[in-house]
Amino acid sequence: MSGNNPAGRPGFLWAAPALLFFGLFGLAPIVVVAYLSLTDWNGLGDPLWAGTTNWENLASDRDAGNGLLITLTLTVLCWATQTPLAMMFGTWAAGHQKIRAVVSSIFFLPLLLSTAAIALIWKALLDPNFGVSAQVGPWVGIPDGNVLGDRTLALYAIVFVLLWQFLPFHMLLYQAAARQIPQDLYEAAEIDGASPAQRFFRITVPQLRHTIIASSVLMIVGSMTYFETVLMLTNGGPGVSTLILPLHMYNQGFVAFDMGYASAIALLLVAIGTGLSLLVVRLSGYSKMTSQREGV
Amino acid sequence: MAAPKSRRQRPAVGAGIGAFLWFLAVAVPLYYLLLTSLRGPGEYMADGPLALPGNLTFENYLNVFEIGFHRYLLNSLIVAVGAIGLVLLVAVPAAFAIVRSNSRAVRVGFMLFLLGLAVPAQAVIIPIYLVITRMHLYDTLIAIILPTAAFTLPISIVVLTSSLRDVPSSLYEAMALDGASNRQVFWHLVLPMSRPGVVTVMIFVGLNAWNNFIFPLVLTQSEDTRVLPLGLWAFQTQYGTDVPGLMAAVVLSTLPIFALYLFGRRQLLSGLAAGAGK
Amino acid sequence: MNNTPRKRFLGGAGAFLALGLVAACGSSGPGDADGIEVWTLEDAAFNVVLEESIETYENAGDTSVEMVTYVNDSYKQRLQVALGSPNAPDIFFNWGGGNLAEYTTEGQVHDLTDALEDNPDVRDAFLPSVLDVAKIDDSYYGLPMLGVQPVVLFHNRPVLEEAGIEPPETYDELLDAIDVLQEDDTTPIVLPGAQGWTQLMWFSYLVDRLGGPEPFEAIVNGEDGAWHDPAVIGAMEMCQDLVDRGAFGTNFSSIDYDNGSASALLATGEAGFFLMGTWNLAQHQDDNPEFLENDELGYTSFPVVADGDGEPSAIVGNPSNFFSVNDAASDKDEAVDFLMETLTSDEYVHGLIDAGSVPPVEGVEDQLEDTEHADFAIYTHELVSEASTFTQSWDQAISPEAAETMLTNLQLLFLGDVTPEEFADNMDGRV
Repeated sequence: MSGNNPAGRPGFLWAAPALLFFGLFGLAPIVVVAYLSLTDWNGLGDPLWAGTTNWENLASDRDAGNGLLITLTLTVLCWATQTPLAMMFGTWAAGHQKIRAVVSSIFFLPLLLSTAAIALIWKALLDPNFGVSAQVGPWVGIPDGNVLGDRTLALYAIVFVLLWQFLPFHMLLYQAAARQIPQDLYEAAEIDGASPAQRFFRITVPQLRHTIIASSVLMIVGSMTYFETVLMLTNGGPGVSTLILPLHMYNQGFVAFDMGYASAIALLLVAIGTGLSLLVVRLSGYSKMTSQREGV
Repeated sequence: MAAPKSRRQRPAVGAGIGAFLWFLAVAVPLYYLLLTSLRGPGEYMADGPLALPGNLTFENYLNVFEIGFHRYLLNSLIVAVGAIGLVLLVAVPAAFAIVRSNSRAVRVGFMLFLLGLAVPAQAVIIPIYLVITRMHLYDTLIAIILPTAAFTLPISIVVLTSSLRDVPSSLYEAMALDGASNRQVFWHLVLPMSRPGVVTVMIFVGLNAWNNFIFPLVLTQSEDTRVLPLGLWAFQTQYGTDVPGLMAAVVLSTLPIFALYLFGRRQLLSGLAAGAGK
Repeated sequence: MNNTPRKRFLGGAGAFLALGLVAACGSSGPGDADGIEVWTLEDAAFNVVLEESIETYENAGDTSVEMVTYVNDSYKQRLQVALGSPNAPDIFFNWGGGNLAEYTTEGQVHDLTDALEDNPDVRDAFLPSVLDVAKIDDSYYGLPMLGVQPVVLFHNRPVLEEAGIEPPETYDELLDAIDVLQEDDTTPIVLPGAQGWTQLMWFSYLVDRLGGPEPFEAIVNGEDGAWHDPAVIGAMEMCQDLVDRGAFGTNFSSIDYDNGSASALLATGEAGFFLMGTWNLAQHQDDNPEFLENDELGYTSFPVVADGDGEPSAIVGNPSNFFSVNDAASDKDEAVDFLMETLTSDEYVHGLIDAGSVPPVEGVEDQLEDTEHADFAIYTHELVSEASTFTQSWDQAISPEAAETMLTNLQLLFLGDVTPEEFADNMDGRV
């Protein structure tokens, strides 16, 4: 791209409004949240300097430690359920049979519903007295229909609802990627007598590795949004069994009005989210692969 | 193996069974959603949630409008249109600059946007709340539009940039040779050429605005500024026993997106997948 | 040549943003002189009463009044947030006591003492004990605006009759009733344990029955070891004992109050007892009218605990709710005038009575006689006027921060995930 007319190139000003705007709402808040984490602020009036008090409290807050554990558990469970299923259904949907197209278009329907809509449908379904769990529960060993009020089942229920919500999106990614796999790879394997399962694990999975990484990173970054589902389904309960860290932050900030302390939790969340994403990228050597790709 | 060898052999049996089970897992709640929304309120508690209703009624839908649902619908529409407009207004010129500029500042700026992809809105909601209240925007629709637009901006710019990169630089150079100014290049080349990207961005931003929960939750309070997702939530706490009404509200809130799915499936899916940054 | 159009374009973007800011600033707030905004909780029956009084007031003068309603769960947050902003209401609903004190220390509430001096008939109309809940440092910051709402022990009459149970007067009788109901496969007590404040009712009543009002006063005053008081620990143990007996069934932690399922369970006879504020009557009026028409809703005061130091007549609950005036309101005089004209007016008081509540005012016994649920109203009025003390809901009397911790720990206590001692330790140092 050797420009022989550099004077005619658009300058920085063309990008300035976007940068200014994003800086104000996207980047500056990270700095502000760091500052607020060192203050005592109840949402009214002005924040008062508090030094490291919030961070000391955070170190000894059992709900925060517990919340971190639940957050990680939830993220891992969501990843471990969504990834294999998305890969399986995504490659299945990539086939060209009519029935697959019809069924997978039903699979995509949850994509059309908002988080609030999905959480509320499932909350009604899981009502212990008036929902489906009251009717179906007795057949599957939950005689009292107590799903969202049970310490273990509540977390599994959240994992399932999130799976229900997010599977279609990741399926979409795998479907698109599976259609890119060169057909002759399969034909060659077939000639070698590879079984369908062998072809899946020896060709499909390795060919999808970029997608696996991209989808995994999206899941990890996206796990922050699980907060909304948890808020509406269990509000962290029963007790603190599903009190994930983002919800703990929200409660501390907007229910208990301890915004300084909530900011400390928020900063911890940013650090964990970024750290995890970097870890995945590093472990998978993704940056190396993309640079190779760009070189082509 | 009576069937002729299909061109794409996959491990179809296992996946087929799994697909059938998942089909049930998706279909049953949706069946429940639709059916319940058409059921009389008394019938729901008496007959249980999955029973076939005795008679179907659209009463629930009418009731939902009586409690001001159209206002939430309008608010969501304003927020979506506002966010789309704002994003396009700043993102298209920025993408133009990123693709064509030699400026170092622009390149650094682009890196900042890429960095911004990793910032989750939930984590910075407190400073955003601070900024919004200090700007005296609390409890206005603009309070939702601004951060929604800001947080969809990075991906929008990535999408627009990649669709502009496909434009051969010879086209730019030809226009420059004709003495066209940057503004003319922008109007006559950049805008038309970025149209597919613009459509993707519109859908991506619009869906985000339509479904967003955390910004309205924290940045608005009154019924006048209530958007759909909050309206659904409030409905659940206010008229909790009226499950059929709630389900009717859920269906109504989804209809516009469903219409989009029917008439512009490809664009909708590409807008949805924009998050994948392909 | 190249620069000018670019600048114009960017200027356009700036103008778009600026326009947005201006438009946003134009929205209504306390700075507007065009009327009074009143914030209150969503409550179908009561909202009608207030609206009618508003209409009367508007017709009598030229001030417009707008009522804005919120759901319970989010109201406090929204109020707290709004009071610091230009979108604050002129008059706002609150719980008096510690909740109101939060705002008065920030200087955000108008002192109503002088206005009450100027309107002695209004001042003397209120039940003094209820009015005093909004008294902070010898000044009045709020006026009672809702019925008195003690917490009572509701029961389903047919269910108890079928089981051959008399409404319990002592705690031991309650325990016996629990055993009998369990044998009949009825959930003895419905507890919407998805929301911690419903568990608080059991806990705070038991503390009062065991140790009188003093242990809680010590907690509010932040005294050392207040949470380790024998009455407090003892009440926690009794709560866990109730859970272990199966008094609340097994799925209480997924039952919700707001969505009406707890009330439905009592009304349909799935459960025998329900400890809840008297406001619960309104939910039955909306959702289970036949339950009330058939006179199946029974009620008693909280049972007496043998050997406890508390008065049998002491009650817990919401003495009333209060309307306070935002100190930043531009037309404070109008707002005060609205409250003075409205809250003790015949129309308003009568409206409250019609809505099934018992107004916080003197001399309404005759009117209560004529109401639809007269027995219940008279019972409530008697309960409050004869009460030795009326302890405000704990979560309203302590700071939101401490309340959040307390409600979480209550849920854990009822789940058996913390011991009473651990609960007390977790609360130490929080007021």
